[in-house]
Order: sequence, then C-alpha cells, then structure tokens
Amino acid sequence: MNRWIRRTKAVAYKELIHIVRDLRTLYLALGLPVVMLLLFGYAVSLDVDHIRLAVVDDDRTEASRQLSEALVAGSAFIRVATPATAEDAEALMRRGRIKAALIVPTGYQRTLARGEPTIAQLLVDGTDGTTATIAMGDAAGILQARQLAEMDPLHASFSDGPPIRARFNPGMRSSFVIVPGVIAMILSMASALLSALAVAREWERGSMEQLFATPVGRAEIIVGKLVPYTGVGLVQTLLVLTLGSIMFDVPIHGSLTTLFAASLLFLLCMLGFGLFISVATKSQIVSVQFALMGSMLPSLLLSGFLFPIYNMPWWLQAVSTAVPARYYIRALRGVLLKGNDLAILGPELLALAGFALGMLSLAVVRFRRRIS
Amino acid sequence: MIETRPPSVRVRELTRRFGEFVAVDRVSFDVRPGEIFGYLGANGAGKSTTIRILCGLLGATSGEARVAGVDVVHHAALVRSTIGYMSQRFSLYLDLTVRENLEFFGGAYGLFGAAFRARRDVVLRDLDLEALRDQLTGSLPAGLRQRLALACAILHQPRVVFLDEPTAGVDPDARSTFWRLIRALAAADTTIFVTTHYMDEAELCDRVGLMVKGRLAALDTPSGLKRSFVPGRMLEVHGVARDDLRRVTSGMSVREIEPFGAALHLRVPDDGPRVDDIRAALVAAGLSGVAVSDADVTLEDVFLRVVRDDGGAS
Repeated sequence: MNRWIRRTKAVAYKELIHIVRDLRTLYLALGLPVVMLLLFGYAVSLDVDHIRLAVVDDDRTEASRQLSEALVAGSAFIRVATPATAEDAEALMRRGRIKAALIVPTGYQRTLARGEPTIAQLLVDGTDGTTATIAMGDAAGILQARQLAEMDPLHASFSDGPPIRARFNPGMRSSFVIVPGVIAMILSMASALLSALAVAREWERGSMEQLFATPVGRAEIIVGKLVPYTGVGLVQTLLVLTLGSIMFDVPIHGSLTTLFAASLLFLLCMLGFGLFISVATKSQIVSVQFALMGSMLPSLLLSGFLFPIYNMPWWLQAVSTAVPARYYIRALRGVLLKGNDLAILGPELLALAGFALGMLSLAVVRFRRRIS
Repeated sequence: MIETRPPSVRVRELTRRFGEFVAVDRVSFDVRPGEIFGYLGANGAGKSTTIRILCGLLGATSGEARVAGVDVVHHAALVRSTIGYMSQRFSLYLDLTVRENLEFFGGAYGLFGAAFRARRDVVLRDLDLEALRDQLTGSLPAGLRQRLALACAILHQPRVVFLDEPTAGVDPDARSTFWRLIRALAAADTTIFVTTHYMDEAELCDRVGLMVKGRLAALDTPSGLKRSFVPGRMLEVHGVARDDLRRVTSGMSVREIEPFGAALHLRVPDDGPRVDDIRAALVAAGLSGVAVSDADVTLEDVFLRVVRDDGGAS
C-alpha cells in the first residue's frame, strides 16, 4: 500500500511539473475557460433588449399614448418609427428595419371605456423566433405590471389573467440560466481535453514504454495523472464561478461545499472520460477530437443547458440521461439560484459519482500495459 | 572461474509472430550473471522484439524466457523491480531537469528518503552528471541524455540491465564514455544485455549473438566467432579491382576475396601466402600503386559471412 502511494505520488508530481512548464497546458487549463466564459456569457445572451418598435397610432387619445409610452418606458422596446399606416409598418418589418409594431386603430379608447376587448395589436417579426417570443413575453409583462400598479382602464389589455412571477429569477435574467450551463460546458471541455492529452502524449513520445518497464501499475498511472488535473479543474471551477458571479451577477444562494462536491464529481467524470479516450486512441490528435466532440456537444445540446430536455423525443431524452453535464447543470442551478442543499441534490450527486467511478474504471481496464 | 550461479537470462525456443511475420524465431540462449551480452543484427532482425519480451513489455507467441529467475512470458509484472531498461527511443521527460527525472524514476521504483538521495548522488557521481543536475533534460546533447537514461535505468540497482541501441546517434567520444560505464557496471556484477549495430561495440562484449531475420544465427565470444566463421588470416589490399586480384592470386591458396569498405579482404589459410607474396604477384602482373597489409579479422567479416551463408541457406 505504501509503495502504491509512493509510486502514484511520483507520477502525480511529475505530471504537475509538466502542467506548470507547458504553456499550452496552462492555456488550456486557465486561459480557455476565461475566453469561453466571456464568449458564451455575452454572445449567448437570451435577453433581448432594445427591440425596434414602430408605433401606428390612429386613435391619438390619452389611452393610446399611455399604451405606447408604457411599452417604451423600459429598455425592452425602443420606438424607432411612427409610420402613418399599418401597411407602412409591415413594409418596415419586411425590410428588417423594425422587429415589432404597435397598431392602435381609431376607437381604441372608446372600446376600452366600454369594457370591450381591446382592438390594439402588437405585431412581432416571427422569422426571428427567439426575439418574437421574448418580445411577446416582455410586452405582456410590461402591460400586466402596469395594470397591477394602477388598475387603470388598461385592465383589458393583452394580459388578463393571474399575476405571474418568475421564482428564483425574478428579473428573468437569462444569464442566470446560461452561466451554470456555460460553467458545465467549460469544465467538461477543458478537463476532457487536458486529460485526453495526458496519456496519449506519453505514448507518442515513447515514455510510456519506459514507464511500463518500471513497477508502476496502470491504476497508479491513471490516479497519478488524475490528481494534479483535478486540482487544476478545481482552480478552473473557482475561476469560472468567481468571474461568472462578478460579471453576470449570478447569485450563489446555496452552500459552497455542495457546489464544490458536485464540481469535484463532475470533474472526475470528465477527466475519466478524457483518460479513457487517451488510453484507447494513443494519439494526441485523435483523442483531442474525440474529447472535444464527446464533451462539448452533449453538454451543449443534451444537458438542458440551452434546450429543455422534456421537449426532446423520448429516445433523445434517454440518451441525455447518460450525459453527466445534465446532472451537474441541475445541481449548479439548484445551488446557485435556489439555494438547494445535499438533501435535494442527492440524486444528482449520486449520478455524478456513479459516472465518475464508471469512467475511471473503464480507463484503467482499457489501459493495456503491453505495447503492441 | 566456473560460474555456478543460475543464468541471469534464460531463453528457450522463444518465438514471436506479428501476423504472418516471424520477428523472433525459436531463439535459445543463456546469459551469465555479470556478463556483457551483445545482440548484433540489422534493423528488423528481431533485436528490439527480443528485448521487449524479456522486459515483459511484449508477449511471446511461444517458448520460454526467464530473467533473474522470473518467467517473463507469464509473470511479467514480477520482473520489473529487478531489471533496468533503456528503450531504443530516448524516452525520459525533456521538460524535467536531470534531478527531477531521477526523482521520478526513483519514485517509480519505490525508492525514497535518505536511501534514495544517497543512491541518486552515487549515480550522479559515477556517471559524471553532478554538474548538470539542475539542467533541463531537453537542453542536453544526445550523449548526455543517454547517460542520464542509463542513470535512471540503474537507480534501483537492477540485476539485469537491458539497453536497446543505447548509443544510436551519439558521437564517438560519448560512445566510448558510455561503454566505459557499461563495463564498470558489469564489473560490479550487473548483467548487461545490449543491442547494437556498431561492430566496434560488439567487440567490447563478452559474448555476441548474431540475429539474422529473427533467428539467432551465431553465438560466441568475439574471438570465437572469428575463429569459427572466418578461420585463417586476413590480408587487406588497396588499389586493385576484385577481378584482377582474383586472376593474379588464382594459383595461390586463397579462401575468399570480399569487398571491405574501399578495400578488399583476402582470407587465406594460416599457412597460406604472406603480404610479400601477394605484393610480388601483383607487381609481376604489372599492377602498380597497390598496398597490401595484414588485417585483423573483424566482427564485420563474421557478420557478412553469416548473413551470406544464411542467404544461401534460405
């Protein structure tokens, strides 16, 4: 046992020196996560601000003015044109000059006063699905808020019904939803890539043959490589979480212990995955490609990061249960936004632990000591 | 002195196939403790394959191989702590310093603490690497890298050391230093199993095995090999064509005439023609500007002879 630890320690220490002395590894470990966080955090924002709005007000009354002012009062809509007719507004939308148009026909105030359904319309450009959905949601929210605040004649606007509040994310900030997903994706890519290189590099440089002639065993090589990379992964986690919460105002409501426990298990999953690829392919180029595909695509598409899992066909839902990022993202959102603890996140952590153990065992078993 | 200890390496009918290709073909030999055993052969003759099997890195197709008493065909893991191995390709870590490489391999062999440090210092001193201890391995010239590789391979005081073409690509000066170290190791009763394709290095071995196309074609001491494969004396002739020399010496007892570099090697029986006889005959035939001298039989002569015989046999 003592010898086992000593040999593993020797491998781990050597690996640490490789990491510290290799600029490429350092960049992969610390530079890439920051770059990705910035790219994803800002580019993949689902918040839509400053939607270009045209207002066609044929009614020209107090009520119609209040309606259009309410829409542009916040930052969601910005009035860029006041065309004379609805046809002109449509032409603007065809040319892409505006994304939405508010049409208020003559008689709007009158019908409103009589308590009849409104005759005003908000048209949105449906070719840009995301913007359309968000514009409609924003408009409904603005008008509803106005109604709740004043109980004024607008009670018959688009948004009759029970008041709706977004729990855990009252501002419906998409960064709250995205940042946990980005963290999961960054950690899975960076750790899978790093560990995918770790074993393949030794095969390519010939040092694996030298290593095999020593008493160092397969599990010692795997664990020895795992230890420093896990350390690097935890630094990445800290980095991404800190930057994420500072730059995108993501709150951390839950316990840091649970957060790091989940992150550690997830890291072990992805490092194990990278090591398995590395052991199986023995080539740096091949294993980098596998690691990239196998870590990025599932955590982007099948994890519930961007696309809800319950909307997928049943077979894709089944596939997604084998994606560790799915559980990690749930755990992250749970801890960060809802303040959930181990009692609630137990199943997620257990799933991650299972995947980690499975991946690492697979890597050790697939690791052939003999050269061929 | 008669060796009574069991052999360090014992190989019987060892065979390794890669598909149809037979890399090692029914090879048998023993290596005595403290012996420098040279394995000579062309590239692809099966030298590295044999070494890899003996180090437990490669399985055997059939046959028996024991190293330091351990059956390496079936229990490869047991032999690793008693052997040292230097692979053909330089395979230490270039981004580690000399000291860090030694520390890593020390740890890999389970050495630690004061015992490790003492041993490390001995090896650094014996191999004259002390001044370089904090240099990055990647900054060392090939000769010093090989010396460091040897240092890493002998840290744990193995009973048998396997060196696969340890001096390939190393300058002659560094090669002779390296061989001095190998002889010192053997003198301290470490068994050395070394492959090479340098004939001058093979001369430094206690015994030499000649590999031709996977088979062990010959095995003896260098002088024994010369006696049995190239009996008689050797004369070297410069400045004459092979056909002319053959014509001029046709009446004499000459065994064979072989090209040897730019010269010709003339093999004669012990009681055959002398240097003066050949020179006189060449002058009488009107061939001037020739140089004739006595030459030593080299392992290269042996090697050429064995390869040719083998080519004729198959």
